[in-house]
Amino acid sequence: MSSKDSYYVPHGTYWPIIGSIGIATMFVGMANMFHGVSWGGSVTALGLGIVLFMMFGWLGQVVNESVNGLYNSQVDRSFRWGMSWFIFSEVMFFAAFFGALFYAREFAIPWLSGEGNNQFTPDLWNGFVQTWPEIAFKTPAAELRNGTALSVPTELIDTWGLPALNTAILLLSGVTLTFAHHALRAGERNKIIGWLVATIALGVAFLGFQIAEYGHAYDIGLKLNSGIYGSTFFMLTGFHGFHVTVGALMLIVILYRVQKGHFSKENHFGFEGVAWYWHFVDVVWLGLFVFVYWI
Amino acid sequence: MKYIVILIIVLILVALGRALIAMLRGGADNSEKMFKSLATRVALSIFLFLLVMFAGYMGWIEPNTNLPIR
Repeated sequence: MSSKDSYYVPHGTYWPIIGSIGIATMFVGMANMFHGVSWGGSVTALGLGIVLFMMFGWLGQVVNESVNGLYNSQVDRSFRWGMSWFIFSEVMFFAAFFGALFYAREFAIPWLSGEGNNQFTPDLWNGFVQTWPEIAFKTPAAELRNGTALSVPTELIDTWGLPALNTAILLLSGVTLTFAHHALRAGERNKIIGWLVATIALGVAFLGFQIAEYGHAYDIGLKLNSGIYGSTFFMLTGFHGFHVTVGALMLIVILYRVQKGHFSKENHFGFEGVAWYWHFVDVVWLGLFVFVYWI
Repeated sequence: MKYIVILIIVLILVALGRALIAMLRGGADNSEKMFKSLATRVALSIFLFLLVMFAGYMGWIEPNTNLPIR
């Protein structure tokens, strides 16, 4: 362990190898699970358990070292850079799915209906009519897929219902988090805790309504295999929901750390990182609400 | 209407991006800047949500969730 003023040299640690073992176990289990091997599921769960153990242990150790004042400004910068690269990967992740939605709507579907200079495309799907959402498959192509029936929804989820309510809930959570952030900068711990609890509760409410919406989607036949609309809809909303779950867990950890008095008015990067992440997930939903449900 | 909505989304992304850069730089000034940028992004988001709902109510934009009729 380095002193505060010298170049920081981390001590030896066994957490990386535990993480590697956990991830490898998880993937071996998963690959076998997909092949229908009986022990696949339990080995996946074991691997996941090891990964969670590693995260809990490793991050806990970092928190302890930080609280004990072992880190200098160099370490602080490296945390900020680490968070930035993580965020970059997240932005690119969602950019891929929004990109897929854009490409399908603006290029692939018009081409299939014979638009543009791709003269051969009408022959790919004779009689294809361009629509959005592309979910009505009253064309021969649905039968072309070797008997793989595509799920044709009888209706779609009403934009004015749960999606609008969930957008309001998530935006409100952005407001409560901003109040928590303000309270932290003012050094008012009780207020931080109150607003953080409100933010987490709103996040959990959002997830509950998302589950209800998925249930409704399956009832009306909107599934992952409901054409390009169904695929992009579930990939975007599903991964977004997963990110809200992770964000809520991160906020719970931050709430715990606030209660323990880990943050000061001046020094609270842990809070800032998680707050930014929550705002980012919020913006992703707003983009989703606008592009999937409206325009 | 579509382009106004996209413009506000771009502004929200700019505010979020400014907050990220301020967070990356660190320090007291940037901490303040980050907070203000995030507050701006929340205000813009609420404005966009209300605008989209109002535009939908007025019939200026149509939801994507009406089934196409063949």
